[in-house]
Amino acid sequence: MSCEYDWKSYALGEMDRSARREAEAHANVCPACREELASTRLTLDALSTLREEEIPRRIAFVSDQIFEPRWYQRAFRSLWSPNFAAACVVAGAILFHAFRGTPGQAVVNAQIDAAVSKAVAVEDARYAEQFERLASQVNARSEVFTRTVNREVRQ
Amino acid sequence: MIFREVEDRDLIAKARRGDVEAFNLLVSRWEKRVFNYLLRLLANREDALDVTQDVFLKAYQNLSKLDDAARFAGWLFRIAHNEAFSLLRRKRPESELPLELKPAETGRLLPLELSLAVESALKRLNEDQREAVLLKVYQGFKFDEIAQILDCPVSTVKSRVYTALELLKTVLAPSVMRGAGSE
Repeated sequence: MSCEYDWKSYALGEMDRSARREAEAHANVCPACREELASTRLTLDALSTLREEEIPRRIAFVSDQIFEPRWYQRAFRSLWSPNFAAACVVAGAILFHAFRGTPGQAVVNAQIDAAVSKAVAVEDARYAEQFERLASQVNARSEVFTRTVNREVRQ
Repeated sequence: MIFREVEDRDLIAKARRGDVEAFNLLVSRWEKRVFNYLLRLLANREDALDVTQDVFLKAYQNLSKLDDAARFAGWLFRIAHNEAFSLLRRKRPESELPLELKPAETGRLLPLELSLAVESALKRLNEDQREAVLLKVYQGFKFDEIAQILDCPVSTVKSRVYTALELLKTVLAPSVMRGAGSE
């Protein structure tokens, strides 16, 4: 071929836009170059029929020891996880209650005893008041009865 | 393609910080391309699978050495090239293939048969030519990118691709003509 156009470069997409236009203009008027370009394209088209194969098994990495992050990387990354934040809240609550101090069983019993004693005292006072009221009523009626009997005896 | 590159770059940055899932996503995106490149180059499925595994292992181990995340593809195929040729050198006596320029058999050709004819024709190229064709035609790299992957001058890459295309044109001509004639 006497022409100096690089048709392989053209067909492989390696030419810049201006060079492509120039080559195309030439191919329009040169049957030999047209044939050269057509045969190159035909070969590339044939190559494109080669089917791409699926990979038989996936390339696995997660289970590989080498890809596991080191302990300090895991610890640092866990600082930002919601689980870690939740664990912090729970731990904080436990520590707060631990340092604030929880009442012992004796203290609890004393509190219960005091509450019971207070309730009993209130009830005792209520009964005493009721007894006094009834006693005064009995005395008053007794006096009225005695006066009535004495009056009838005198008559 | 631009978005894909941006996402790859983001995944590479995450993987560099130790994010295994980000790297796994990169693997799932590239494993098929790398496997097919190695399959055609090594012409052995088990070898291709083993080397693909090694390629991604090395890629992870050396990710911090990748200067420009935008050049991940070329860098990955550079690793694949090195691993493949390391294996080919070890298996040299049995992997050498004679370069026969005998045209394919005559007869009507179906698309699958044309595909098989191409596979057979590629095996007739020498390793350097075959790899140049794989990177240019099947992986779509530019000549200068291939030169970086293979660590050789651009002129050498062009020479290999052009020579290979001439050989393939000769070998495939009857198949191509029959394939075109059958449509």
